[in-house]
Amino acid sequence: MKKMLTLAIPKGKLGEETLSLLKRAGLPWEGVATEDRQLIFTFPREGFTYLICRPVDVPTYVEHGAADLGIAGKDVLAEARADVFELLDLGFGFCRMVVAVPRQRWEEARGKVENLLVAGLRVATKYPRVAAEFFHRQGKPVEIIKLYGNIELAPQAGLADVIVDIVSTGRTLKENNLVEVVSIFSSTARLIANRVSYRMAYNLLEPVIEALKKAAEERRDNLVARS
Amino acid sequence: MEYRAKLIIPEGVRDLLPEEARAFRKIERRIMDFFVKWGYEEVITPTFEFLETFQQGALRDQESLYKFIDRRGKILALRPEMTTPIARLVATSLRNRPLPLRLCYSARVFRYELPQKGRWQEFQQLGVELLGDGGKAADVEVLALAIEVLLLAGVRDFRLGLGQVAVTKGVLAALELPEEGVEEIKGALLTKNLVKLNSLIEHYGLKGQKRKQLEALATLRGEKEVLAWAREGGLPEGAASALARLEEVWRELVACGLGNWVFFDLGILRDFDYYTGIVFEGYAEGLGAPLCGGGRYDGLLERFGYPLPAVGFALGLERLLMVLGERGEERKGFLVAGPSFPEISARAREVRASGVPAVLFLGEDRALAEEQARKRGLSLLWVE
Repeated sequence: MKKMLTLAIPKGKLGEETLSLLKRAGLPWEGVATEDRQLIFTFPREGFTYLICRPVDVPTYVEHGAADLGIAGKDVLAEARADVFELLDLGFGFCRMVVAVPRQRWEEARGKVENLLVAGLRVATKYPRVAAEFFHRQGKPVEIIKLYGNIELAPQAGLADVIVDIVSTGRTLKENNLVEVVSIFSSTARLIANRVSYRMAYNLLEPVIEALKKAAEERRDNLVARS
Repeated sequence: MEYRAKLIIPEGVRDLLPEEARAFRKIERRIMDFFVKWGYEEVITPTFEFLETFQQGALRDQESLYKFIDRRGKILALRPEMTTPIARLVATSLRNRPLPLRLCYSARVFRYELPQKGRWQEFQQLGVELLGDGGKAADVEVLALAIEVLLLAGVRDFRLGLGQVAVTKGVLAALELPEEGVEEIKGALLTKNLVKLNSLIEHYGLKGQKRKQLEALATLRGEKEVLAWAREGGLPEGAASALARLEEVWRELVACGLGNWVFFDLGILRDFDYYTGIVFEGYAEGLGAPLCGGGRYDGLLERFGYPLPAVGFALGLERLLMVLGERGEERKGFLVAGPSFPEISARAREVRASGVPAVLFLGEDRALAEEQARKRGLSLLWVE
C-alpha cells in the first residue's frame, strides 16, 4: 500500500486560500471543502489525507505527528510554541499582531507609547503568551485576561485597558473606537512539518514542499504583476 | 462540587497496570541485559540532587526542572536526565577506575511540561555512557549499540539520523557576525525555522559562500549530498574536519553492515551548546517524536573538574512500548489448591523451583478454585 501523507488544513479564510494553493500546486483538491461536516478527505491514488482542523489546532496535530504537514498562521504558531519545523512562508493570510487602546486613553497618553504602557495594565487577548512575552520584554508587569473572541469589546465593557489582537484591515478597530499603537509582528500563513516525518518521510514530503513553494512564489508574482 | 484530588493523579504521570508493568519490565530487563553483555555496568544515582549539578548539563533550562527546597534552604531538583549525574559520579567516585569507562542506567526522569502538551512529565530512560575515549571507534560503538538495541527490542521500521554539531559550529564561527546575530541564526537552525533563517540571511546581508553554507546546513541531508558538499571545498577549517570525522564514522558503520539504519542530516543539532561532535536521533514509523538520541559531549566532565571525552545515548521506554504496541505476554503458571495448607505450600515451592509461577489458593473449595484458575488464566494444581 502506498504510504499516505497527511496534511492539516485550517478551517476559515486561511482554509480557502490553502485550497487554491493546493490547486495551483497540482495537489488533489477536488471535492475538498473546509466549511463542511466532513473533516477527513482521502485521495488514496495520490496518497494524500487532508484533515480539516480549527486553525489553532493545526500546530498540535503536526507536533504530535497526527499530521505530517500543516498550514498555520504565524500568529497561531507564535502562541502555540509547538515543536514543529517551519518550512515556508506561503505569503497569504497577511495580518499584524498589534497592541490597541481606546482612542480616549491614547489621547490621555498624549499619543506616546511610553506614557501608555505602564505597569499594572489589564490586557485582553486571544494570545496570552504573545502578549505576556511582549510586555515582559518591555519590563512591564501586566495582567493578562484570556478571551476567546470579540476582543474589541473588552475595553468598552471596562474589562481591560488595552488589547493585543490580530488586525488585517483595521476596520474592526476603527468601528470600536480603538487605535493601534504598537505592531508586535506581522503574520502570514506558514507550512509546518512534524520533525520526525520531515526526517523519516523526507522523500515523500520533499516533492510536496517543492510544489507548494513554487505555487506560493507563482501566486506572489501574479499579485505583483496585477498591482 | 466535591473535591476529588485524592482519587486522581496529576497530569503527565500515570499508573502502569499489571499487564503494562509486565511488558515494561520485560523489555527493560532485555535491554539492560544487553547493555551488560556489551560491558556496560549499571549505576544507580539519586532521584534528586542539587540544582547546581543539573545546571552543568543539557536541559539547563530552569523551566523544565522540578525544583524544591530542602530544610536548609538548598535548591534541589528531580533529575531531568541521567548523563549529568553520571558525569558527576565519574568525576568524583569513579575517578581512579581504568578508562574507558562503560556505564549504563535505567531510571525515572522528570521534566516539567505544560499539561496541555500531552507529554509525560515522568518517564523511563535507558542509556549508556562511554567515557574516556575521544576516538571515532567510540562513536561507532555507541551508534552500533543503539541500532542493535532497537533491533533487539523488535522495532522494525526505524532509522538513525546522524548529524555533527561541530560542522554547524564551524560555519557559524566563520560568519563574522556579532554575537547576537550568531545567536539568532543558531536559534533558527535549532528550531528548523527556515522562514526565519531566510529573513536573517537577508537582514545580515549574507552572500556567496556564507549564504550557501547556511542554507546547506538547514536543508542538506543524505550521505551522497552531504559528502559531495564536503568535497566542494570552501568550508571553514573546523567544519571540514568535523565532516571528515562524520564520514569516517559512517564508513565504519557501513563496513559493520549497519549502514542501512543510518542517514545523514546536518539539521540534527539536539542540545547544541552541550554536544561537541556526532549527534544522532532515532525515528520510528508512526511516532511523532524521536525514540532515542545521543551524541558526543566532550566538555561536560571538565565542568566537574575531570576533563574526559564522552559519548552516549538514551532511549525512552514509554515511547519504545508505544511503537511496539506491546501488552506483555499472557500470564502463565499454576494455582495450587488443596485442603492442607502446608502441603500446597510445599508443592508450590517445588513448582517455583522449576521456574514456573505458583499462586496459592486461599481456601478449600475445589469448585471455587477451578473458577478462580479459569478466570486468571492459570492451570489448577489440586493437592490432596
